[in-house]
Amino acid sequence: MAETKSPSVGIRSWQVVLLAVIFGLIVLFYKGLWGNPSYIPPVLVGTAAPEITAPDLYQPKEVSLSQFRGKVVVLNFWASWCQECKLEHQNLLAVQKHFAQNPNFVMLGVNYQDKEDLARQYLQEHGNNFNHIRDAKGRISIDYGVYGVPETFVIDQNGVIRHKLIGPIMGDNYTFLIEQMVEPLLNGTATAS
Amino acid sequence: MIIELGHFAVITALILAAVGIASPIVGLKRREAVWVEVGRQAVTLNFVLISIGMLAMEYSYLTQDYSVKYVYATSNSKLPIFYKVAGLWGGHEGSLLLWSWILSFFCMLAARIHWKTQPAVMPYLIAMQSTVMSGFLLLILFLSNPFERIFPIPLDGRDLNPLLQDPAMVMHPPFLYLGYVGLSIPFSFAMAALFSGRLGEEWIKATQRWTLMAWLCLTIGILMGGYWAYYELGWGGYWGWDPVENAAFMPWLVATAFLHSVMVQETRKMFKVWNLFLIILAFSLSLIGTFLVRSGILSSVHSFAADPGRGVFILGFLSFMLLLSFGTLIFRSAKLKSQIEMDSVISREAIFLFNNLFFLVAMVTVFIGTLYPLLTEALQFKKVSVGPPYYNTVFMPVALGLVFLMGIGPYIPWRKASIQSLKGLFLIPGLIALGGLAFFLIAGIRHSYALAGLTVVCFVAAVIFLDFAKLSVFWAKREQVSSLQGFLTAYKKNPRRLAGILTHIGVLVMIVGIIFSTIYQTEKVLIMKPGEETGLGAYRIKLIRLYGAEGVNWEGQEALFNVYKGETLLTQLRPQKRFYTVSQTPTTETAIHQIYTGHIFLTIPEVAPDGSWARVRALHNPLVLWVWYGGGIMGIGVILNILRGSRMKLSALHPEPALSEAPVSLPRPAREEVLHRSNRWQAFLNAVWPGRKEV
Repeated sequence: MAETKSPSVGIRSWQVVLLAVIFGLIVLFYKGLWGNPSYIPPVLVGTAAPEITAPDLYQPKEVSLSQFRGKVVVLNFWASWCQECKLEHQNLLAVQKHFAQNPNFVMLGVNYQDKEDLARQYLQEHGNNFNHIRDAKGRISIDYGVYGVPETFVIDQNGVIRHKLIGPIMGDNYTFLIEQMVEPLLNGTATAS
Repeated sequence: MIIELGHFAVITALILAAVGIASPIVGLKRREAVWVEVGRQAVTLNFVLISIGMLAMEYSYLTQDYSVKYVYATSNSKLPIFYKVAGLWGGHEGSLLLWSWILSFFCMLAARIHWKTQPAVMPYLIAMQSTVMSGFLLLILFLSNPFERIFPIPLDGRDLNPLLQDPAMVMHPPFLYLGYVGLSIPFSFAMAALFSGRLGEEWIKATQRWTLMAWLCLTIGILMGGYWAYYELGWGGYWGWDPVENAAFMPWLVATAFLHSVMVQETRKMFKVWNLFLIILAFSLSLIGTFLVRSGILSSVHSFAADPGRGVFILGFLSFMLLLSFGTLIFRSAKLKSQIEMDSVISREAIFLFNNLFFLVAMVTVFIGTLYPLLTEALQFKKVSVGPPYYNTVFMPVALGLVFLMGIGPYIPWRKASIQSLKGLFLIPGLIALGGLAFFLIAGIRHSYALAGLTVVCFVAAVIFLDFAKLSVFWAKREQVSSLQGFLTAYKKNPRRLAGILTHIGVLVMIVGIIFSTIYQTEKVLIMKPGEETGLGAYRIKLIRLYGAEGVNWEGQEALFNVYKGETLLTQLRPQKRFYTVSQTPTTETAIHQIYTGHIFLTIPEVAPDGSWARVRALHNPLVLWVWYGGGIMGIGVILNILRGSRMKLSALHPEPALSEAPVSLPRPAREEVLHRSNRWQAFLNAVWPGRKEV
């Protein structure tokens, strides 16, 4: 019944594992102390886009990113208080118009830390031809690592972020977005970036 | 002046804590009891001194002395008096003071209660407790001093975090600390056992009530935190797998495992090293939890200030404690060999082993989830945060397994169970569970975890009910009384077992609550204008109007909702959006209407400045109260267990006979007589109880 091994057999494996775990933890905690808990990693191009579930700006419904799976999504972060957003706004409307005939294209505005009525007023003033969701608390923006508005993400049919544009969609950015990002994706001729 | 007195008292307490470490060790070396006595007086005096520190702080709160920096940071003249008192644990420094105070109280109490009965253990216990004490006092005095003054003296305080201005939140930290710190006593006993080499069952007997008490407080603390999150944070949920919640949950899981596995050591003298390991782990997790929460190394909804300097100190102390305790265990464990090995996989000790493994797996799951972001960051990978989906995926099967074990564990005999007896025990409950499954399917429940969970609950409930029925009838027959009295007799014969079962019933109730309130929750988030209405499951809510409202230290908006079922107006609800003027913090006040044991739960996270619309979050949480009812039943079970009285003392006085000779207390003739007199149902009931020890 009793084990025949004498107690002084030496170090047993669980003891080594236990000690290793303790030392590992201490090292980990020590390293962790110098980390920044509020550091949020930049969203890397080529990784899966974080899921979004947010209320629509106009309708009492929730919009989620996954419902656009299979489509190319252009995600634009903006706010009514943002000056550069006003600069790019007409171009955004033009992008939407450009691809309006393609059922596989979705343009989605993310209204970042804004007052709802001001956001609506802004769209009324500057025109609107696509849907917007609200990110009142900035959670979506945190998930996407948005530093400031405007920022624009291009997400492919498989839900992978293919490109991130910081700053307004103007000039080169505009043609790049249409011709080199969205069109090849819609035509299936894009190469992995 | 008062605050300086308090400060001075705590400084003296630190010196005495050093005495508390040194003098018992000297006493051991020189074999002179008087040194140990000095240690005991030191810990007693420590409690008095830290109490003076606590009182000095409270005095400053009540007299609104904002020259004390910490009071300035966590209080305000407009604050209701209740929250002024509680402001002490509304921040980092005061929480640590409360921690130390509770520790000094428990230490004093333990040194008094066990002084006569456990003389050999005392030097170690006092030294160990004083070590923990010194760590905390050093931290308080050098890095997080609540007694510091500021100049110029502010006219008014910065206010207590409005989220903490809530009764449940006021009681939540003290209970958690009672739990955390309560675990330090069994821990010290275990360490004393390791150091002294008195590795029998003594330390377990001495610490059983301490562990139960700590467990109870931890449970209450966690449940209160959950209730607070439910209605104050406006989550609509009570558990979010937040790192700080996890920090309290991990020691709870291990303490639960420990409470179960000590029974194996008591009865079968097995699991000796394992039990030492578990209790050291439980208290270490309390310390790790304190470290995680207080150093701010993890991002959490509980925003505590991060300060690497402080963190390094706590980490140093934590490392010291981990290495000291686990190191001692490693070096001493060779002495601890179980004399008895397991006879069969189908035996109660095996069930306990599985129970422990499941609890440990659960703990490791939570542990990994909590530390994963830290790990990925340390390894320079992409920082990843782990969300509820991870925990739910991994935790659900473990929880189901635990509930199932809970159903069979207490009924399977020690050593070895025959297949025949298993059939007798679990055939009918198994059939009932299958019936339940069919019923749930017909009732339209399709969610796989809900089905599995409810079926297991049915099974366990049936096992427990049949057991109660059997016991009651047995004693009713034997004592010629009614079944109810028979039940009471059964309880008196073995209060511990039945108290344990009551706790298990609480768990079942809680699980039903969790299943229904999470899986069958109805949620709507939408913008509503006055006059609009929306459906919510079988109910309808209509926003009547939006208007301004204000309180003593806040202003804000309130919404008036009508809640209907069909055309009947059930109630009116008034959720609020508050803005606390002093601290400039917005909060969301929930409005709840109870329907049976479920809730209609309304919040208005956002209201238009002109009051033309509100963003409304409406939830129907069926059976949500079962979560806390279950917690209450668990608590009563544990209280009965703690209060069960003389039986334990007796067993401590008369060592149990070796197990092979353990008598079946009921003499055979009486048993057969009962069998003879009973009908077939009775025969069945009795036949499935081969050799039950407590009868």
